[in-house]
Amino acid sequence: MPTHTAIPPQTPETIAICGLRPQDLQAANARHGWSLKEAELAAIQSHFQALKREPTLAELETLAQTWSEHCKHKTFTSPIRYNDGKKTRLIQSLIDETIFKATKQLNRPWCLSVFKDNAGIVAFGSKWALAFKVETHNHPSAIEPYGGAATGVGGVIRDVMGAGLGAKPILNTDVFCFAPPDYDGPLPKGALHPRRVLSGVVCGVRDYGNRMGIPTAAGGLWFDDDYRLNPLVFCGAVGLLPAWAVRKEVKAGDLIIAAGGRTGRDGLHGATFSSAALEGAQLSAVQIGHAINEKKLLDALLTARDKKLYRSLTDCGAGGFSSAIGELAAQCGARVRLEAARLKACDLSPREIWLSESQERMVFAVPPRSLKAFAEIFASEGCETAVLGEFTSSGRLEVTHGKTSVVDLDMRFLHDGLPRIERSAVWAPQKPAPIKAPTHKKSLSQILAECLGHLNVCSREWVVRQYDHEVQGGTVIKPLQGIRHDGPGDACVIWPHAATGDPSDYQGFAVSHGLNPAYGKIDPYRMALACADEALRNLLCVGADISRAVFLDNFCWASPDDPARLGALVRAAEGCRDAALGFGVPFISGKDSLYNQTRDVDGKDLAIPGTLLISAMAPVADVRKALTMEIKGPGNALYLVGWTAEELGGSLFHQVCGRCASCTAPAVDTRIALAAFKSVQSALAKGLVLSAHDLSEGGLGVAAAEMCFTGESGAILDLDKVPRRAPIYSDEILLFSESASRILLEVAPEHEADFIKALRGAPAKRVGTTMANPVFKVTGLDGRVALESDLCDLKSTWQLSLPRRLG
Amino acid sequence: MNDKTDVLTKKTSGPLPAPKPAPAGPGSYLVEVNLKPDFTDAEGSAAQWLLHCAGLASNAVRVGRLYDLRGPLNLGHVHTAVRELLCDCVTQEFRICPSAGAAPHNGCLWRVEVWLKATVTDTVGESVREALRDLGLPDVSVRCGVSYHITSKCGRNQLDKAVARSLANPIIHHFSLHEAH
Repeated sequence: MPTHTAIPPQTPETIAICGLRPQDLQAANARHGWSLKEAELAAIQSHFQALKREPTLAELETLAQTWSEHCKHKTFTSPIRYNDGKKTRLIQSLIDETIFKATKQLNRPWCLSVFKDNAGIVAFGSKWALAFKVETHNHPSAIEPYGGAATGVGGVIRDVMGAGLGAKPILNTDVFCFAPPDYDGPLPKGALHPRRVLSGVVCGVRDYGNRMGIPTAAGGLWFDDDYRLNPLVFCGAVGLLPAWAVRKEVKAGDLIIAAGGRTGRDGLHGATFSSAALEGAQLSAVQIGHAINEKKLLDALLTARDKKLYRSLTDCGAGGFSSAIGELAAQCGARVRLEAARLKACDLSPREIWLSESQERMVFAVPPRSLKAFAEIFASEGCETAVLGEFTSSGRLEVTHGKTSVVDLDMRFLHDGLPRIERSAVWAPQKPAPIKAPTHKKSLSQILAECLGHLNVCSREWVVRQYDHEVQGGTVIKPLQGIRHDGPGDACVIWPHAATGDPSDYQGFAVSHGLNPAYGKIDPYRMALACADEALRNLLCVGADISRAVFLDNFCWASPDDPARLGALVRAAEGCRDAALGFGVPFISGKDSLYNQTRDVDGKDLAIPGTLLISAMAPVADVRKALTMEIKGPGNALYLVGWTAEELGGSLFHQVCGRCASCTAPAVDTRIALAAFKSVQSALAKGLVLSAHDLSEGGLGVAAAEMCFTGESGAILDLDKVPRRAPIYSDEILLFSESASRILLEVAPEHEADFIKALRGAPAKRVGTTMANPVFKVTGLDGRVALESDLCDLKSTWQLSLPRRLG
Repeated sequence: MNDKTDVLTKKTSGPLPAPKPAPAGPGSYLVEVNLKPDFTDAEGSAAQWLLHCAGLASNAVRVGRLYDLRGPLNLGHVHTAVRELLCDCVTQEFRICPSAGAAPHNGCLWRVEVWLKATVTDTVGESVREALRDLGLPDVSVRCGVSYHITSKCGRNQLDKAVARSLANPIIHHFSLHEAH
């Protein structure tokens, strides 16, 4: 097979920027798609003016990639002049003053690596650690849903493979935000229909995860018309690694070895592309994943890790070799010889080799003495390697092709030369709408049925069944639960010891997500707290230890150049900080994807709703005691924990019935919530609870109905018993309010006394009883039956909605 | 009749009648693998649904896999590749045929071929290439495509639009339509 490694020496293309006026610099910026700001271009110009030479195109593109929003998270790290509606203050670095601050303040000893590696790493037992990462692949998925989603999965798996000295991926997660699949409004030319995007993305996630033999078991779907031009695809992965393999380092003299797939012309400009709005996407930004190559790379990597044949590694993501080697060598320096790279085609220019984002490639720092053994292991897995050069102590990034210099940059300028551009942000709080009397004529039964059939609540079985969630044999609580394995679930529970070879250890972990952009439209701060609260309750409901929980954040936003949108982003970040501090749960990793806006058919910018995904993970002491959410039998008590208030802002009830009550998004009191969660956790640990389910979209009505039809047992609820601090005079509000921090629990009669004791001090009341009759019945405040629905009807409404809407 | 046409005649059965042999360059073969007609074509049903969502009514859609093999191969090599790797002879049947202008099989009004553009990496093709090498066959270049046999009384323009909106993404694919009548 031809190796395509020998190409004729080429003279690198230089770009004369030193004498250019600012407007000409901007023109060059637009022509080359660097997505750099004016001040950044000026900084680069001054740097090369001081060096008295013009940069090569490869140098400029290396800087553009490294300084991209994707790699440097400029919005989160730059100063922001923020006006919160009352006063103006300067935020030096949003990430430092919110999310990092909370993690630093909490200082949890089990957090082994936070915000510095490819994934956050936490201790798991005494011998192991778990790496967790979630990131987005939005822009590629909008253009080519199948390939974009598949490479999103491949990328996040490689992030986990590159965490510490390498983790074995044991779980994939997927959360998507799309426009409804039966959207019938106009779309601009070239935009794919949301149904097409949905089916392509699901197929891409399915094929990559299934082919690599990794279960895809925790996810979610959210539909909103405003995602029609910018769908969001959040891909996550959890990996297992030995505790000794968390630390990594690079030493001068280590060899730079590229392993895995070959380098081609695919995927150029991915990082800068992600920092720009979607118009004018280039074909080269589309990448195609190769799951089999990544599996071979994974198998070789784990063998080499256990033989301690390398000192550090990272994956080639956006920016390709330029980012990967640039990051590994940030504290020392590197000399790279591109002629050694293994190529897909022999006509690649040195610049293309350096910046290509071909998939399934990783870069290792290998001591010279280990080279032979390292290469042999990779060869035995059919995985190609190439020695690209060595790490140095020069503090420079020196890249050559033959005798020609391609890049010669000072590491300090590359990593610390980015000018901090101050932005403006404004937050104008919404005034609560006056409360009006309900105007709709729907009965509670109709509203409940519409809520269950709503796209943001209905069954995701059509998606879930496409994934292999059983492979590796460790999925204890599965995505579909209940008597017939077709009901919803709160979180998945994974037992990773099928991979460690220690079947006597029953410790596992649970993963869940919280996402609700509808709250964010009212108040991003409350959205952030509600998402964290929901993710934590999901973990609690399956029996995880939330005192050891960790969070991951993923912000997807429109352009931060708009002060109002940036103001909302600041609010959301502050919500994350307060959630972390309030719940005592640190963030360990995160990502942001900005500029999610595109011109619609009218030529106006269509921005996505500000979207925050909070993912959570916590250990489960004994997976045999993990809980599912379905009712286990008749005659048991149903307890509601948490206060119910008149909080219908952004609720499903509003979407189904129109706005007819307060517009306040649910608030979270972390102090009360955490105390209640601890009580519930202690009751769960004592085996006093048969099932638990969190109340989220659709409130008590939807949560109780889901528990009933999933367990095929009826229930009767009394709304007068619902715990509330302020009087509520409406059955509708009691049944469909989305107040946060609430959980519905099923308790056997013989355990009720102990349960009440365990929950002493928490806002909890018995609100109903389960029964054998397959009906869901609700008694209203007036003592009459306010709702009575057949469970089969409720379940079929819930199950058939998505398939119907898909056509 | 040369070797290749002989093979075409022998191996085509059921709904895959022998297409007219077309001259292929030395070492250039196109293999099409389809499910036998007795087997339910779930992929075809999914494609039919996608076309329906794109506004095209059809009575049936059958899906086939296309492999464009180019390199130092002879017909014996291709047979080995098909039997050992590309075709499950219990549930599938194959033919070795030219790409453009192939006659569709009976009852199908349209045949659509969807290929990745030459500038897009074909990762499945790469895996097939490696698997062929593992079988001891010569190193060849492989591109993979998909064929759709669509029973529909639609017009060419209508089909062209529907395929571009459902079965192919013009950003990474090119496709061709062939009419039966």
